[in-house]
Amino acid sequence: MTILTINNKEYSLELKGHETLLEVLRDHLGLTGTKTACDDSECGACTVIINGKSVLSCITLARDVEGDKITTIEGLADGEELHPIQKSFVDTGAVQCGFCMPGMIMSAKALLDKNTDPSQEEIKQALDGNLCRCAGYLKIFEAVEQAGKEMRNEKSN
Amino acid sequence: MKNQINKEYLDPVGKSVPRIDGKGIVTGQTKYAFDLNFANMLIGKMIRSPHPHAKIISIDTSKAEALPGVRAVITAKDTDEIKFGSNEFFFPHTIDQMALESEKVRYVGDEIGAVAAVDEETALEALKLIDVKYEVLPHVVDVQEAMKPTAPQIHDSLNNIAVIFPVNFGNSDRALKEADYVREDLFFTPAAHQAAMEPHVCVAQWEKHTNKITLWASSQAPFKCRETLAKTLKMDLNNIRVIKMAVGGGFGGKLEMLPMDFSACLLSKKAGGLPVKICYNREEEFLASRRKHGIIYKLKSGVKKDGTIAAITGEVIADGGAYCSYGPTVLAAAIMRIFMVYKIQHLRVTGYRVYTNTPISGAMRGFGGVQAGFAIESHMDMLAEGIGMDPVEFRLKNITTPNMTTINKLIISTNGLKECIERATETAGWSKKRGKQKHLHRGMGIGIAGDVMGSKMYKSHESAGSIVKVEEDGSVYLFTGAADTGQGSDTALSQIACQELGVSYSRIKCKAGDTEITPFDTGSFASRVTFITGNATILGARDAKMQILEVVAKEHGLNIDNLDIKTEQVINTEDDSAIMNFDEAVELSYSFNYGKQIIGRGSYNPKTTPIDFRTGEGNVSGSYGFEAQIAEVEVNTDTGDITILKMWDAHDIGKAINPQSVEGQIEGSLAMGIGYTFMENLRFDKKGRPANGNFANYRLPRSVGTPPIESILIETNDPQGPFGAKGMGEASLLPTSAAIANAIYDAIGIRLKSLPFTPDKVIEALKKKKQQEKKDEA
Repeated sequence: MTILTINNKEYSLELKGHETLLEVLRDHLGLTGTKTACDDSECGACTVIINGKSVLSCITLARDVEGDKITTIEGLADGEELHPIQKSFVDTGAVQCGFCMPGMIMSAKALLDKNTDPSQEEIKQALDGNLCRCAGYLKIFEAVEQAGKEMRNEKSN
Repeated sequence: MKNQINKEYLDPVGKSVPRIDGKGIVTGQTKYAFDLNFANMLIGKMIRSPHPHAKIISIDTSKAEALPGVRAVITAKDTDEIKFGSNEFFFPHTIDQMALESEKVRYVGDEIGAVAAVDEETALEALKLIDVKYEVLPHVVDVQEAMKPTAPQIHDSLNNIAVIFPVNFGNSDRALKEADYVREDLFFTPAAHQAAMEPHVCVAQWEKHTNKITLWASSQAPFKCRETLAKTLKMDLNNIRVIKMAVGGGFGGKLEMLPMDFSACLLSKKAGGLPVKICYNREEEFLASRRKHGIIYKLKSGVKKDGTIAAITGEVIADGGAYCSYGPTVLAAAIMRIFMVYKIQHLRVTGYRVYTNTPISGAMRGFGGVQAGFAIESHMDMLAEGIGMDPVEFRLKNITTPNMTTINKLIISTNGLKECIERATETAGWSKKRGKQKHLHRGMGIGIAGDVMGSKMYKSHESAGSIVKVEEDGSVYLFTGAADTGQGSDTALSQIACQELGVSYSRIKCKAGDTEITPFDTGSFASRVTFITGNATILGARDAKMQILEVVAKEHGLNIDNLDIKTEQVINTEDDSAIMNFDEAVELSYSFNYGKQIIGRGSYNPKTTPIDFRTGEGNVSGSYGFEAQIAEVEVNTDTGDITILKMWDAHDIGKAINPQSVEGQIEGSLAMGIGYTFMENLRFDKKGRPANGNFANYRLPRSVGTPPIESILIETNDPQGPFGAKGMGEASLLPTSAAIANAIYDAIGIRLKSLPFTPDKVIEALKKKKQQEKKDEA
């Protein structure tokens, strides 16, 4: 029995051992927000946060993250209240087809949780592992900047 | 309507309201076909050819069928062997692909069968147990080799040239003789891939007792998918339901039914009605979906001293891969787009669409216009230079104008091209920078383009419909057949519906792309949805509005002609006085005395004439969009690296329904164009297999290196467009490579004619330039 802590909830799973975290999230737990796009660690669509760091779930074995704190896109919003990053991605028009968005938002969160005031270059570096084919990135950068601002405001309040 | 009306969303057209599906996407709740999981769902896998060209002698599936966990295996024997394709209306002979091939395979990856099993592992195991005997045939990968009479014959036709498209207007030979300057250029553009983030995926379920099929699809054209399924499965349209789920990007790659869609349906039937899911992995995506045509462009053109284009002649050779797909219309578009932009009296260009034993070329954003844009817009710069004219002045001299009919009968009404060029050059500082930054190895280049909004590519009509339903509480539904693949059409159409109905955008929900419940729509291609489906949506909303006003007129004894709904109020248009608010009017409709449901319907078919593909004549689109793009680059002459300092895109979009979405389309197109210019090149090995068919080796633009882009929206308010809007999802991609190529020339004087521009090509060109300069000195 493997116990995974995902979005502050514990899941007990019977695993064979070779399952990736991505497989477990999507196929075993129905948490399909995390996406499979290349399954080869090249596109970032499967990005989740483990212990504060952005991690590719397609190359992470589920059994290796037992006891770790795993956050997926489903764990960001508080009920109907969106996380500032989610809100800014909608408000700035960063969202197009949306397939890369969960991974993109998780990479942005890992960045902003450490530094709410990143430079444009730091944003680009943090998101460089996340491919987006629709939006051309500019509105995504804007979304991250705006979310950082909002998170700074929240902190100071 | 229990929720508060959001006043910010009154008069939503022209406002950057948030995406209607935004909240679902950013919370991970939006369901893509990829995310569907049903009880007892089987996993399907395609049986593919390992050979680029071979006869199928026999297929033995018995061992696979005997494997525990396998529920169905199908081959051509289980099908009616009906061919399909995408240009049936104009090019019936190009209907050349079978859902599962029975006699021959024509590329590595060609589908000859499929298996369905309880899980992926078992399905993959079953594939290994399929015993196929082939007689291997000689094959051909290179497009120019394939054109030779001695080349292996890929289809049962005279040769491998599937389509010849001759376009000939005026007298080009005479015009070239009379020209003051004539030059010939040869351009190469490579194969590329749509590379949508979501690979092709579908789930199919056959209903045993009703013989009905449901396909949950990732499709840009669910109604076209249904039509092809109905044809190949020999079923009635109303026995097939295609449900478009959220689509993770399409870019032309998801316009057609693929053998996987057909196979999922048939596998479900053979497995007694269990649902079957087929997901492509990224490798299959590059191998067996659709790709962009690699095109060779030979041009010979002449100009007069005063800058007038005398004639354009040439040849276009498109590498089509194993089957025709949308190839014929891609070829046509690769030639015809020139007429939208330049006033030409003499043109003779012949297009060839050629079979090779490689993955199938089809539609990709821009439909041949990207390849053509690179060739033509580079060529135009060189012609201008030949007579010593500034490239902007040269273009201003030759561009099409408002209210004109071109030599091939395009009827252009509004045309903001001149303004696009002027605004783009002014904003970018063209006159200050062009030719004046060579000491910094910096340069500036321009490219222009035109775009259609719809093109009647595969049917005799291109209609769209809409249903606008107002519920008892005043909340609104829009039903549309249009397929939002990420571009935001659900949002734009909802804005249009609310604007016409006179209500806040916060009232509406959109249900799109379900062939059983939404009206017909040909799909998301040719930048058509905002224009065509937008018009249909206005008509539907207007119909709903009139139904409400009819009740108000009757109740108050007023003339309906003097009533309208604006910003949530029913008003008397004679004095703009409010009679009642929208909720009250809806309540009245559904009241004891009236009991009238409010269901508006609209249908729109653009006023166009089909292209005569023997000549190239016809008014293909209800309106035309235009743009001018400028690139500023800096070249590192030691490494060959090119940095884009900034790009500007001035775009005649008629009217921006949602300015933020319009900018998103421009920025996304440019990113794709920049990718094609510098890195995207789908290569094939000796057997015609993708040599770099994965994201590690097929490089796409990433966030590092994204240049600043300035969008300049030009609103020409087209009288045919919904609230004046034109389509605009593709045009920004067309001139990008040329604008960059022209900027590189301005910076360091080298002319790159083969995409993509890799550092080694830059270094090589610089070497040649130096050698030439030495020779000239000597």
